[in-house]
Amino acid sequence: MKKFKWAALGLFALGVWGLTPVRAQEALAQEPAPPSGSEEQLTTEHAECSFFGATRDRFLPRINNRAESIPGRLTRQFMASAMHLNTTARQKPFAEATGVGGNLIDRYIRADLEAHNITPADKTTDYEFIRRVTLDLTGRIPTVSRVQMFVQSGDQNKRAALIDELLAKPEWTDKWTMYFGDLYKNTASAVQVRIQPEGRNAFYKYLHDSLANNKPYNKMAAEMIGAQGNNSFDQTNGQLNYNVLGVVGGGPTQDIFDSQAANVADQFLGIAHVNCLLCHSGRGHLDSLSLWGGQTTRAQAWGLAAFLSHTWTRSINTAQDPNNPNARYNYFSLDKYTTDYSLNTTTGNRPARQPIGSVKTITPAYLFGGQTPDKGEDYRIALARYVTGDFQFARATVNYMWAAFFGRGLVDPPDQFDPARLDPDKPPPAPWTLQPSNPRLLNALAQSFIDSGYDLKALQRLIVSSDAYQLSSEYNGDWSPEYEQYFARHFVRRLMGEEIHDSIVTAINTLPSYTVNGFTNASTVYGVDSPGFGKISFAMQAPDVVNMPDNGGAVSQFLDVFLRGNRDDQPRKTEGSILQALGLMNDPFVQNRIHATGTGPTATFLAKQLATYTTDDALVTSLFLNVLSRNPTRQEKLDAELMLGAGGAAARKTNAEDLLWTLFNKVDFVFNY
Amino acid sequence: MNEQEKFEKQFRKYPHPVRGFSEKPHLSRRSFLSLAGAGVTASWLAPSLHAAPVIKSSPVTTLNTAKNVIFILLAGAPSHTDTFDLKVVNGTTPATFNPATVNGMLFPTGLMPKIAAQMDQIAIVRSMRSWALVHSLSQTWTQIGRNPAGVLGNVSPNIGSVVAVEKAAERTPGQVFPTFLALNSGGGIGPGYLPSAYAPFKVTPSNAGLKNTTNADGQTRFNQRWDFLHHLDDPLRVNSPDGTAMEDFDEFYSAAKGLMYNPVVTKAFSFTTADSALYGNTAFGNACLMAKQTLAANQGTRYIEITLGGWDMHTNIYAANQLPSLTKTLDNGLGQLIADLKADGLLAETMIVMAGEFGRTVGKVTGAGGRDHYPQQFALFAGGGVKGGRGIGSTDAQGAFTVDPGWSRNRDIKPEDVEATIYSAMGINWTNVRYDDPLGRRFYYVPSSDMDVYGPINELFKA
Repeated sequence: MKKFKWAALGLFALGVWGLTPVRAQEALAQEPAPPSGSEEQLTTEHAECSFFGATRDRFLPRINNRAESIPGRLTRQFMASAMHLNTTARQKPFAEATGVGGNLIDRYIRADLEAHNITPADKTTDYEFIRRVTLDLTGRIPTVSRVQMFVQSGDQNKRAALIDELLAKPEWTDKWTMYFGDLYKNTASAVQVRIQPEGRNAFYKYLHDSLANNKPYNKMAAEMIGAQGNNSFDQTNGQLNYNVLGVVGGGPTQDIFDSQAANVADQFLGIAHVNCLLCHSGRGHLDSLSLWGGQTTRAQAWGLAAFLSHTWTRSINTAQDPNNPNARYNYFSLDKYTTDYSLNTTTGNRPARQPIGSVKTITPAYLFGGQTPDKGEDYRIALARYVTGDFQFARATVNYMWAAFFGRGLVDPPDQFDPARLDPDKPPPAPWTLQPSNPRLLNALAQSFIDSGYDLKALQRLIVSSDAYQLSSEYNGDWSPEYEQYFARHFVRRLMGEEIHDSIVTAINTLPSYTVNGFTNASTVYGVDSPGFGKISFAMQAPDVVNMPDNGGAVSQFLDVFLRGNRDDQPRKTEGSILQALGLMNDPFVQNRIHATGTGPTATFLAKQLATYTTDDALVTSLFLNVLSRNPTRQEKLDAELMLGAGGAAARKTNAEDLLWTLFNKVDFVFNY
Repeated sequence: MNEQEKFEKQFRKYPHPVRGFSEKPHLSRRSFLSLAGAGVTASWLAPSLHAAPVIKSSPVTTLNTAKNVIFILLAGAPSHTDTFDLKVVNGTTPATFNPATVNGMLFPTGLMPKIAAQMDQIAIVRSMRSWALVHSLSQTWTQIGRNPAGVLGNVSPNIGSVVAVEKAAERTPGQVFPTFLALNSGGGIGPGYLPSAYAPFKVTPSNAGLKNTTNADGQTRFNQRWDFLHHLDDPLRVNSPDGTAMEDFDEFYSAAKGLMYNPVVTKAFSFTTADSALYGNTAFGNACLMAKQTLAANQGTRYIEITLGGWDMHTNIYAANQLPSLTKTLDNGLGQLIADLKADGLLAETMIVMAGEFGRTVGKVTGAGGRDHYPQQFALFAGGGVKGGRGIGSTDAQGAFTVDPGWSRNRDIKPEDVEATIYSAMGINWTNVRYDDPLGRRFYYVPSSDMDVYGPINELFKA
């Protein structure tokens, strides 16, 4: 083993990746060329440069050298095993998607499928559709009566009517407040910054109210990026917390500007590589990953961060915490700095920032066009204007939404946009290819979003109304992983922890009640009005994912095994686990809800079912409808009736408990298919 | 310029965030996650979960002396000069410490008599210095062996998850325990970007055994349900064309069932009050007991992380309920663990590694009667090929700085070196580089190992 070579580390540290003494057999073909230019300033070795945000592996399953994505794998497995749950004949999709007719999405998807000679799956049955769309839009399964009414309806437009109904429900707001809370990482107590339950609740309230009112998304983004105010606990100004959540410790204020700018680029523009560029120029680092990134310098990225340079995200340590006599509480204020982004740092979380020639400060210049603030204009308000006016803002947003409904983005992962590879009329030079799997669809969808006035509900309506979304997850014929990017079938997903909770309590039609800190307290602690939301019954109504909904108790622990993350350094995941299996089979949360005896609200469901449905036939059908939102197949019904009848009438109650347990453990309960 | 000066100059010029981190609250928010609830694993399913990544490495010879590792994290940062690098300060050090020279090392035999009695098995590294003085950051640093604020830091796996990946192929069919077990480590770092299959299986030891491994309606009814579930649901669960994730979901069920009503599991994951008393009847003692039991069961567990917190003693460090109490907990648990592993013949194949995230200020205590954060620290090694009964490196009279590094690299020992030591002792090439990280940016088992910046503390294994 040779001794450590200091000179080599020095070069390495300066970012001269290609000149490090990599052994010949290790050299990779894509080893990038060494960068040049004094703006590089990469003073930590490459392996220490800060790159990814905490939720990096949100989208990891696709990247782990897997031939196909998790959704694709799940779906292939799921469907290959010969389900079929419903005998209703399926229709062929895309019948109306011709010329300029039909759903906008379907025209592009159909053309793409035909161009690649791929036959799509058939459309969903009514049972499949109502369960899927109700889970996707509102985070819980449909009620039995709604399923039956929907399936029995002869209305030609019943799917459209159902979609409108779901988009108008309060639980739609709950689910999408959870989604955006995940995206913006709204949590009370992260490693780097603690906005406290008060700040989190205020931000939650802002997101919840904005979505409930279907506020245009460009307005939401502008309000968050450009928020002004001096109290992050102010329940009428919760958007203030958006920038506060970018605070990082352990370094100069430029580290905070960088972090806040990186959040904007990631969450609103889908370009996570900006975070990378805020440490070092792309050349030599991003060359094989992003055509745009490889050509962009750190100094250019500083132009974006400079929009934050007048923002003093100040932690104000004032009075004793009224809820905890041993603690003081900190809220945050967004105050003003007057100097621009200074190149004067040598310590902290990112490499040193030193003058480039005579340039000692960086003034704001929008990274994607060079625009600067108007004279006298607040820097962040200018930033909000340029971000929301950028076509990429619409493109990134529709792509995030697409990924939420289809399991993968048109650009995937959705935060890895390469701005130089998006225009279908100007393809990038070889060997690069256009990045989106369907670039014209992506652009058309973004334009449609803009034309709608950045209407999130209209966007979701367009998506779930499409035949592309309504394809079955069952595929007749030989499925190839290559088909995945063309969306030739629907991909199954495991339910989120919150969806499992909410679907179980919906299935047994018996709601729990939880008290969330700050949600029922209408007092004026902390000197600001905190109106509160009252008690909650559904996990999707929680303002956070940590310790919710029962303050870290048994229900929180049950939900944690479903990998809901922590909105900080642990992303939400869709994988399975042994603890999930143990939880679904044995945890008191499920166990208490399958019993027909005992006291308490959780035991009443099955007792009522047994009393109401005295024949095995009716009981089996009812339980299937309540839990799985469908009728049993003929074979399933025979099997279940045989099981119910075993041991005679005396055993009927315990047999019914066993049947209910089984239904909650079926994969077609745990998955949205 | 000596090696230490070169090392320091290098990092002054190209800063690692050695200092400058603002003081943060002590508990990482990771700690708020529930203990047993957050854990996931199915290490034995690992081979089916994803394709082999590209791995490159340098040709090195590993020590390969340890089959298992028990990693004890002393969260909160213990005072090194009051414990494993004892410096008697006249008028400050309580007489009850009963300082005595054991195997050539000054040791507070009054505080930790049981550990003192095992000192012939123990090697203490005293030339160790942490990078940063922030609890959550440095605790993470210790567990992942790299700067958490660095590239991939946010998605870097726990050392134990890397071990689980490496040792997956060594599992045998009958083994039902997870490869990576984390006890009392609810805030412990997870698998990072690696699949959940390599995550720590997080358990809070309880004499009731593993949570949710029995069903409230009894085993007979559970088995009936299980059979019926398969009867009804197998069309969706089995006979898939290949080992895809959906089949994995059924495998998770099978693995879960393997943990239920299993006498081997019950024996290893529950304990008697008598045994618990031997280990001090504390949560930490129970974790040590469970570590011994799971290794003795030989059911596939190879890496066990145990967390013992409470060392952040800024005030009244010598009060009865502070250092004396916590060292007693440590003494009862660790002392008994070493003795039992030795008696069972497991110590030779099991390396114990113990460290805090940094040390504490030296000399006289502060005005508040405590000790504040300080970079000099210690690490304890025992078993698994470690030659005990001696110290590696030494500090000045106060314990403030390294005087003698005591190892071939001739500089302070860092968490990255401890990480390399663990890998080498377990026969894992610490220079491995994986190319399956999120952006294909390369995940080094030990950072910069191609540059040979860090490496195993081979001196621990030489007599």
